[in-house]
Amino acid sequence: MKRLQEVKSNEALDLYYPTMCEIVDAKQLTDLEKWYELKLPGGQDLGHEPGQFVEVSAFGIGEAPISISSSPSKEGSFELCIRQVGTLTKVLKRYEKGDTLGIRGPFGKGYPIEKMYGKDILIVAGGIGLVPLRSLINFVLDNRQEFGRLIILYGAKNPSELLFTDELDVWQRRDDVELHVTVDQGDPSWEGNTGVITTLIPELDLNLNKTIAAITGPPIMYKFVVMSLKSKQLPDSHIYLSLERRMKCGVGKCGHCQINGVYCCQEGPVFNYVDIKPLEEAL
Amino acid sequence: MECYSLKQSDVPALIDHLGAYGEVIAPHRKGDVSYSFEPVKDSEKVVLEYNRTLLPLKKCFLPPTEKLMDFSLKDMSYKPTEVPIKPAVYFGIHSYEMQSILRLDHSMLSGKAESNYFNRRKKSRFIGVSFSPDEYHFSESVGISIEEMEGFDLYLNKVSDDYQLYIISDKGKDLLKGFDKLIQAEPIHVEGREFNKKIRYHYNRLPRVFQYAYHSKVWAEVAERCVGCGSCNLTCPTCFCFDVNDQVEVTAEDGMRRRSWDSCMLSTFAEVAGGENFREHTLNRTRHRLYRKFKYITDEEGLPWCVGCGRCTAFCPADISMVDIINDLIREDEKAQFHKTVRV
Amino acid sequence: MKPKVAFFDFTSCEGCQLNKLNLENDLLDILKHVEIVEFREAMDDKADAYDIAFIEGSISSPSCVERIHDIRRRSKILVALGSCAVNGGVNAMKNLQPIDEVRETVYGEDKYLFATLPAMSVSSIVKVDYEVRGCPMTQQDFLKLLVSLVLGKQAPRYDSPVCVECKLSENECLYNRGMVCLGPITRGGCDAICPSFGQFCTGCRGLLDEPNYIGMLEVMTNHGISLDEAKKRMLLFNSNEVQL
Repeated sequence: MKRLQEVKSNEALDLYYPTMCEIVDAKQLTDLEKWYELKLPGGQDLGHEPGQFVEVSAFGIGEAPISISSSPSKEGSFELCIRQVGTLTKVLKRYEKGDTLGIRGPFGKGYPIEKMYGKDILIVAGGIGLVPLRSLINFVLDNRQEFGRLIILYGAKNPSELLFTDELDVWQRRDDVELHVTVDQGDPSWEGNTGVITTLIPELDLNLNKTIAAITGPPIMYKFVVMSLKSKQLPDSHIYLSLERRMKCGVGKCGHCQINGVYCCQEGPVFNYVDIKPLEEAL
Repeated sequence: MECYSLKQSDVPALIDHLGAYGEVIAPHRKGDVSYSFEPVKDSEKVVLEYNRTLLPLKKCFLPPTEKLMDFSLKDMSYKPTEVPIKPAVYFGIHSYEMQSILRLDHSMLSGKAESNYFNRRKKSRFIGVSFSPDEYHFSESVGISIEEMEGFDLYLNKVSDDYQLYIISDKGKDLLKGFDKLIQAEPIHVEGREFNKKIRYHYNRLPRVFQYAYHSKVWAEVAERCVGCGSCNLTCPTCFCFDVNDQVEVTAEDGMRRRSWDSCMLSTFAEVAGGENFREHTLNRTRHRLYRKFKYITDEEGLPWCVGCGRCTAFCPADISMVDIINDLIREDEKAQFHKTVRV
Repeated sequence: MKPKVAFFDFTSCEGCQLNKLNLENDLLDILKHVEIVEFREAMDDKADAYDIAFIEGSISSPSCVERIHDIRRRSKILVALGSCAVNGGVNAMKNLQPIDEVRETVYGEDKYLFATLPAMSVSSIVKVDYEVRGCPMTQQDFLKLLVSLVLGKQAPRYDSPVCVECKLSENECLYNRGMVCLGPITRGGCDAICPSFGQFCTGCRGLLDEPNYIGMLEVMTNHGISLDEAKKRMLLFNSNEVQL
């Protein structure tokens, strides 16, 4: 048990004060999602890992945990992509280039890059799950020779909800990226796959010992994706998932993100499947 | 341990003496049948014989609501609230309350240590007092005796009509410098202060009971009676969850960010922006509350995260008893064990 | 341009509107943000369209229905003010008896001259964007909503029971004082003003989503009132909500 006497005065931190960051660029990607590029004072790097998150705050509205969408290899600024669903995020729609936002973080544990070097990376992204995974994808692309295959499965409800379509085009054209996109429901102009994301998994030809899967999507998706990957015989320990919880403080205090006894903001949001399998509240 | 006798009539003088160190906070009467910790204005008003205060002593270190910052919407700037390090004496504290502060230290200072809490806690001194358990106290069942002195600087043990004062720490000894109403004495063991409410198992056995209790029908039985008011968490001395909110002045130019205690028994506690609720039913929430007290943290720290103050039970409008829930789980567990044995 | 704001009253005591007029200290700040164009209690200007329409009172006659539709058509944002508008309030107690009996009691033999309907919430007739709860609505709550609208922010929603604010104020629980209080299942946001002054909660801000009715009735009867009385207490402000 931690005792008061063990804490030195300089170890006690102001945990809840944001750093004000300037929005250097912003773009509405879909009806619901908006992309922002932010700069820390002095242009210093955020110093994050792919999969980590920040607490974004707009005074008068509040704070919300948001995944970092840019790769750590991008210097001088970082990117967020925010779906407008909550009190804060709906207001953020009005924030434009030149406005300032408060940022705390980065927080939590991201993808275990060290364990991923030399491996085939299988990305499974559902909906806005692509936002944090884009950080990982771009990191892999920026260090392409350090990794094996890069397979990206991306599913959205319909074509109009597809994010980062410019980048999807680039990934599609690259020889060293295997991109498979599907939508639950197509529209007349849609020529790609239709069906939920799990329909893309059976056809995959995976080198099981070498593949590491990174999954992010809506809560409902995880069970089914994990089931499909297990039926491909992918070992549990090769599966990483990023879980969404109400990570209100980001520093393991406020309690809202607990998954049974685990603080999602401290031990997650990216978990190895082996570690969350015993947690009844996880999936 | 040095022991002195102190006349009941000299207690106010002791309180006044302690005031030289810093503000003294002590139990006072509140309302018809209740008590609360308040700053001492008149040492004669301090009540040393009380069952429990409405809110735990936690409120002095992690206030029910606390301003974190003032902000301006005009230029998007903010001014942090400074929490000064001030000396203070907490007088007339029960052993379980002291134990709750030691647990709270862990919660707020392990991992990333929080400065707001640290600053309030830094120069605090604690003077304990013995108590007579009522029908709700069960601290003995979680390993905390009436005379548990860990964490205190001084301790007052009620002996017939007067007190025996124990000096527990050097800081406690310093507090007494210049106080001349003490007479050296031999420690007396007080008999007859018994706990009425008891958990049937030693607390060391509870994590095992909880390990198999996740799907017990007991949770549904509790959920049927629970009205979801959150009082159990909000009066709990070891709960530390909070929520953060922004408030804006009518001018729509300035405002402040505040945090206030939250409760995992409230229906929206685990809800995320998209509407998904990860603990949707009362059953899930009741279970979570007890697992936080007897399993999750206990597995890591080796101690129940409940100190047996009895507040969650005494202040529950539905009269749901923590001890009864645990004894029900124990009974279910014994039944299951019995059936296993018979089958083999 | 400042948003045009209007206030309309339906079946109610107009107490909520009076409460706004008592906002003396903040009234000037409010007028910095909005232009009030219709407010029967305070002025007689009229306008054709409104940015924000505040509705007080419940809908309880065919002409009310017609009028609320008309206001809705002309308003960008519509806000229900006070418990009558939000869920029917005390007016909805009449819904517990056959409507014909109610008419006879009120109007006697002239009952055929007065068309009447069950007392309904505004939201049961037209779309309501925001609500300010309570009987009467509190000034603080009204101001919070107004500021939210000015900031373009979603209005605060209170999903926690009155007990939360009551506990945070370290009030002695009224159940411990032998009273019966609806705090545990009533939507908070009122700073537990009644219990703070020793008065039990009557549920005027409406009940929580999916309250534990049976558990609550048990709590109330265990604390000394009859089942009948307990039900009546629950129904007082929430006849349209309570499912017993």
